[in-house]
Amino acid sequence: MVTLVKQEMYKLLHKKSTPAVSVVLLIIMTIFGVLSKTNPKYWGPKDMFVSMYTGENWVVLFMIAACSSIIAMEFQYGTIKELLYRKYYRGEILVSKWITMLVYSIYFFVLTFVYSLILKVILYNSKFKLSDTYANNHSIVETQVLGMVGAFLSVWLILSLVLLLANVFKSTAAAISIGIIGYFALSMVSGLMFVLMQKWDWLKWNPLNMMNLPSQIVDNSYHKMTLLSTPEMVWGSLIYTAIFMAISYVVFKRRSV
Amino acid sequence: MADTILNVEHLNKSFGSKHVLKDVSFSVQSGHIVGLVGPNGAGKSTIMKAVLGLFNYASGTITIDGDPVSPTSHKAMDKVGALIEYPGIYPFLSGMQHLKLFAKESTTQDQIDETVDRMKMTGYINQKAKSYSLGMKQKLGIALALVNRPKFVILDEPMNGLDPQANKDLRTLILDLAKQGTTFLISSHILSELEKLIDDLVVIDKGQIVYTQSMAALENGGKKLLVLKTSDDAKAKDVLSQNGYELNDADNVNITEKADTKMADIIKLLSDNGIDIDDVQHIHSDLETSLLELLKNDKVKES
Repeated sequence: MVTLVKQEMYKLLHKKSTPAVSVVLLIIMTIFGVLSKTNPKYWGPKDMFVSMYTGENWVVLFMIAACSSIIAMEFQYGTIKELLYRKYYRGEILVSKWITMLVYSIYFFVLTFVYSLILKVILYNSKFKLSDTYANNHSIVETQVLGMVGAFLSVWLILSLVLLLANVFKSTAAAISIGIIGYFALSMVSGLMFVLMQKWDWLKWNPLNMMNLPSQIVDNSYHKMTLLSTPEMVWGSLIYTAIFMAISYVVFKRRSV
Repeated sequence: MADTILNVEHLNKSFGSKHVLKDVSFSVQSGHIVGLVGPNGAGKSTIMKAVLGLFNYASGTITIDGDPVSPTSHKAMDKVGALIEYPGIYPFLSGMQHLKLFAKESTTQDQIDETVDRMKMTGYINQKAKSYSLGMKQKLGIALALVNRPKFVILDEPMNGLDPQANKDLRTLILDLAKQGTTFLISSHILSELEKLIDDLVVIDKGQIVYTQSMAALENGGKKLLVLKTSDDAKAKDVLSQNGYELNDADNVNITEKADTKMADIIKLLSDNGIDIDDVQHIHSDLETSLLELLKNDKVKES
């Protein structure tokens, strides 16, 4: 399994897009850092820091692309046969890809977190302290870290779906578009969803509602709309992720290539 | 009896309602080069994929070196190298990076370099694969199949896209490796190429094995023909058939050569009848002729 993860890492690191994406992420974060310095009215310095200078949103996009391509590229390039006819079990091949993506997502979160600290120190060292109260009795840094934990869980809920779709459709396009739509659809449909949930209580268990976890973990009052407690949402997210992963695993094991 | 490295018994496989492999049984002797031939869609690639554990199959057993093979049982794959259909290539990696990626820990850099050298890929092995031509990709695919020095190599249409020189190099390499004990199962439509390589032949048609024999047996079983060009072909045919020679239906004078057929007798017979012989050709049936004959006569009917 270690060998397989190493091989996946090797492929990931040798893609030109991999270093490029990290560089782009840092550039975008820098731009928003500078914007919040020059136009604090539109981009509040504290809000920008808490949202990691928009880094989090970009990480989601990049991870959706990475997850769909790590599966779909093998079908696209015809390398899936070479991967599968070796001594390893099929399940191991798939799990090695998941582990690689897990490591990649952790790398991204650590990178954005560390870089947002660096930006903060460079741009606003004296303006505000990380321990200042931000909202809901949380300090700025607490808000940021809690938001990150919530985001990590909901990102993986989306990623598990992307991994499944890439596996089913064998194409990056379908998986990426549904992944992106799924992630950004939340803001568009959540209003309607909350209304419907008032009517049919069981709807609160739908996966889109779980995507509100990052907001609720920071601001407990969200509970009134999501109708779920934070632990329920954490478990809900984990269970949905597990279900999508399990379907992926079964599909991958049964596939004839 | 020599050791068998591959044993396929009563293999059945369907895609939906289409029964693509019907009770397929054959075995491959250790150290032999075996040709798997048959018309398009006969099931060659399907057999190869099943042998590589890529397919679930309805019934039957496949063993490699005694270990069973199925999608959930891949232990035997450690001894196998393969190229199936077309080579799977990552465009963003160089040829060398591919070989390193798929090399086992026990495979040394020297062994990788040797494979590259034997495949004559040194000139472009460090270029990204997206710049490779079809033939270069094919060579890389073959190199990937051979890089870990497997005991058993499966090559599906390995000559695809190779130029004549590369073809000859590949043939030499396969023959060398076979001498050192590597077993090969090769499918190809280029029968004239295959003929120069293989020890044994497995013929498949419409999902069934219709013939398994050594090449030597096939060659002995084939007809040998004597083709004459004479000053008067019509008269020559009459004279020869009256004297008990077996003539084949053809425009020219076409005699089936038997053990007791003597050239001198024919020349004498014809010249006694005032017929001049302009040209004589011996024709041995090659793999292509034998195979086409076999497929034409085979009893497998569309079910």
